[in-house]
Amino acid sequence: MSFLAPLALLGLLGLGLPVLAHLLGRERPQTIRFAALRFVRPREPVVTQRRAIRDWPLFVIRLLLLLLLVLVLARPVVGSEAAVAVVAEPHDAVILLDGSASMELRVEGRSDRERARERLEVLLDALPAGSRVGLVISDPEAPEVSLRELADGAGQLRAAVDGWMESDERGPRPGGWSLAEALPRATAMFGAGSGARPRVLYAIADPTERGLGSLPPVVDGSVTVIPVPTRGRPDDEPPTPPEHVGIREIGWEPAPELDPRAVRVRALIRRHGGERGTLGVEAVLELDDEEIGRTRVELEPESEAQVEFTHTLTGEREGVRAQVRLVGRDDDPLPIDDRRHVWLAVSDAVEILVVNGDPSETRVNDEIFFLSTALANSDLGDRLTVRGLAPDQLEQRLRESGEDPLASVDLLVLANVRALDPALVPRLAARVRAGMGLWITVGDRVAAADYNGRYGELLPLLLREAVYAGTAPGRTEARSEGVAPAILSHPIFSSAPNRGDIDLDATRTRRMFLLEPDPRRGADIALAFSSGAPALITRELGRGRVALLTTTIDRDWGDLPLRPGFVPLVTGTVQWLAGVGRGGKGSVVGVGEGKTFERAVPYTVTTPSGEAVPVTPPDDGEAAVFMATDEVGHYLAEAGDRGSDGGDGDERAASFERFVVAVDARESETLPTPGPSAELSGESGTVTIYEPRWRELALLALLFLAIESAIRGWKGWQGRRRPIQ
Amino acid sequence: MSVETDPVEQLLPASLRAALARRELLLRRPVAGARHGVHRSLRPGVGRDFRDYRAYVPGDDPRRLDWRAAARSQRLVVRQTESQEELTLTLIVDGSGGMSYGEGTTNKWGRAGTLATALTSLALRQGDGVGLVIGGQGEVDGQLLEAAARRDRLRTVAERFVSREPGGDCPWQPLLATAAARLRPRSLVMVISDFLDPGGLELSGERFGEDEGEDDGEDRRADEALLRDLGLLRAAGHDVVLIQLLHRDELDFPWDQPRVLQLEDPRVRRPVVEGSGAGMRDDYLARLDAHLRWLEQGCERGGMLLVRSVSDDEPAGQLLDLLARLAGAPVDAVMHEGGGESGRGSRR
Repeated sequence: MSFLAPLALLGLLGLGLPVLAHLLGRERPQTIRFAALRFVRPREPVVTQRRAIRDWPLFVIRLLLLLLLVLVLARPVVGSEAAVAVVAEPHDAVILLDGSASMELRVEGRSDRERARERLEVLLDALPAGSRVGLVISDPEAPEVSLRELADGAGQLRAAVDGWMESDERGPRPGGWSLAEALPRATAMFGAGSGARPRVLYAIADPTERGLGSLPPVVDGSVTVIPVPTRGRPDDEPPTPPEHVGIREIGWEPAPELDPRAVRVRALIRRHGGERGTLGVEAVLELDDEEIGRTRVELEPESEAQVEFTHTLTGEREGVRAQVRLVGRDDDPLPIDDRRHVWLAVSDAVEILVVNGDPSETRVNDEIFFLSTALANSDLGDRLTVRGLAPDQLEQRLRESGEDPLASVDLLVLANVRALDPALVPRLAARVRAGMGLWITVGDRVAAADYNGRYGELLPLLLREAVYAGTAPGRTEARSEGVAPAILSHPIFSSAPNRGDIDLDATRTRRMFLLEPDPRRGADIALAFSSGAPALITRELGRGRVALLTTTIDRDWGDLPLRPGFVPLVTGTVQWLAGVGRGGKGSVVGVGEGKTFERAVPYTVTTPSGEAVPVTPPDDGEAAVFMATDEVGHYLAEAGDRGSDGGDGDERAASFERFVVAVDARESETLPTPGPSAELSGESGTVTIYEPRWRELALLALLFLAIESAIRGWKGWQGRRRPIQ
Repeated sequence: MSVETDPVEQLLPASLRAALARRELLLRRPVAGARHGVHRSLRPGVGRDFRDYRAYVPGDDPRRLDWRAAARSQRLVVRQTESQEELTLTLIVDGSGGMSYGEGTTNKWGRAGTLATALTSLALRQGDGVGLVIGGQGEVDGQLLEAAARRDRLRTVAERFVSREPGGDCPWQPLLATAAARLRPRSLVMVISDFLDPGGLELSGERFGEDEGEDDGEDRRADEALLRDLGLLRAAGHDVVLIQLLHRDELDFPWDQPRVLQLEDPRVRRPVVEGSGAGMRDDYLARLDAHLRWLEQGCERGGMLLVRSVSDDEPAGQLLDLLARLAGAPVDAVMHEGGGESGRGSRR
């Protein structure tokens, strides 16, 4: 605790005044040795007792009142640790204010956002005269103040920030940019040629990963970045924030072994921070605001635990609003992540369409024998519907007008299929972009040129050529090639329940396709040969996913299907490609992100608060995008043209889209992350930022004032009453 | 400087002496002195003024035979003349702390000394004896009580006033008892005091009770005891003159202000009183007025002369007024009219 105006503490001497007035002041009346004293009668008989303090409580309260007033005037502050360097010469200052959700973290009763507001105030006061000042908040919807003179800019900045912070509709929300993402907008504000004035960017943010921690050490241009942490000193390690608990993820899956309509909802609860000991957290599953289940987990510091609820859905409804929320955490410093929503659906069947490019009478030699056998024996067995088609049949059905053969398909497997008719490929691509999974396995019938030409936009990497193992120079002794250990961080494997089962080490592959490296395509390798060539490579395209196996899925080119790890590999790949665990139940949209609908028709979106928001496509043929995703919860979008589509039942079912708006789990990360340290060149001053404590004292003073008035009033009332008695 | 140190000069400045140069201290009634003096005697004696004739009896001085009268009446007639006899002046002075009030020339004690020395001077000039007894600090100072007509009596009286600081309480009963026992017959007794608070020593102590009304009663009893004692002197044939010496502040109570006053008893008998001057003034003036009226009436009833003087009045005027009153001037001029302003000297 220190004081901004320590000289005001001299006013404490003034505390002696009432004491003096009470004691000494009455000690020194005019003394007269008066002979006619016998005729003098004091009017108040108590006057000689006045030297003693008559009313101790009142006296003490008044003293305390004065003490508090003096203390308030002395402006006590705590946290003198935070100091902000401010460039001393007039400069262009852009203040970048962190608008992310982690700023809601309450430390010692005040949120980081309030602290940021105070730091902004101090900063504005400390900027040298003649500076220009601008404001950027790391939220796309937040107001922004362009560079202007400090004299009128300071007021506009304050008004903008206050208006933003107090606004309900367009105020602070999760889903803002990280500080690094907002940086270009801030640096752009400096403009091109603002002359020789220094350009300084004051970043007021919390010391977290998405706050100051995301700032790059060097910003292009001649911009100096001065981090202003809301807590702690800029140069020191950030202080440890209070622990909080949040739900990181939520997911669900059918539990057919229990009941055809049973679902299993899993939530991952994380305890951020914490010192020691276990923390018991209670989580509740609610369906349509009705509590279904309640469970409790014990969390070690900085750890996470999974809670699981099992429930059998009733009714015919397709979408059930489910949420998992933490209870008993009213004092959680960061409440935004204490609940997460999910849509539950009864029907969660995955439809797989396998196009068999090399059918055989002998089942063992059939291209898809091992695949279908593996799928039938996988965990997904009950939920999968596997259909097989010949390439010709697929082409024919695609050509036929009417029902889209791919409409209900979640995953299309092209197993050793010659390239399809070029005219049909765009329809395939459109389906993939709309969310369908595509798994291409190669073989003798795959020609690199055809594939590259027709499926080029779909493939994770372009094909080069099929080679035999061991033909590389110096590798003649080995006619086959093994498979390197699976890259378990790939989503295919990371979501597999028992990743240790993926045992493909003994695999011998005689032939494989080599691929053209192209980093721009954003392909992920899930499995590679021991030579390093990709064996299974994936790519996300639009809302769909594509996987490419560079060898055959049967025994033609190797013995991969014979390995124990084949079943989990296939299961994981199918799961990931078909989007099991995310797909039919509706998608998840981050707060503030746009939700692109599948069809280019007007939609009516029902928000969690029950509001119906119409959304129309911007242009004909383009999908509508719903942007008002500020509120977390369940959203139900209904296509507005049901009648005109003539639709049957399927159409009607497809005309609903469900999605959940959720807080990005990264936003609840409060682990202290230091930002870059400011390197100030030239003359600069340092401004210390304090956390004021005088407001509390002022409130206390008001309280004492009220008590004093009450006591005085009570005594006065008693005094009036006494003569009557 | 020597003038200042001379007590007579100090108490009796030249201007005052000049004013009193041709005055006489005369009583309107006969005196009974032991020796020849200037006062009309109670007895016929050797004097200039004719008084009476009476028949000659053997033993009369034949020189006093009035032959013309004897011729007219055919018998021996002795001519009696008024006797001119000396007067004994006894000053009984209150030397209590109450007399210490006042600054400079308005100091009550100083004024008491001036009056006493002036009267002494007048008396000595016409051959009268002067005695002085002072009561103060709870004791009776009776060294000068025996009347003397010596010229050095003036100096000793003055010295007694200058050397003494008034203080403590005045023991009125012992004081009057001491004086009464040694007074010559038909003395002129002048009591100089403020007569404000004569509560004697015997009244101190438990008399300061909680109840103020009782307090008043005690004070009044003390007043009455004093007047009774003085009345006894009067009854014994002495002339009793009460010179009430007051200060202007005591009459006016000038502290008409909200400021708190702390009033102490100079006689160290009463507890300290605190209060705002404005709050106490009216009450005080009313009580003082009542007391002064009571004192006047008491003196009138007891046949005693009450002369009131204020210590900031001109001393010469006061003395002339006093002399006039002694010589029989009407009383109304000095009657107290009540209130603060009326105590002013009566000579005008």
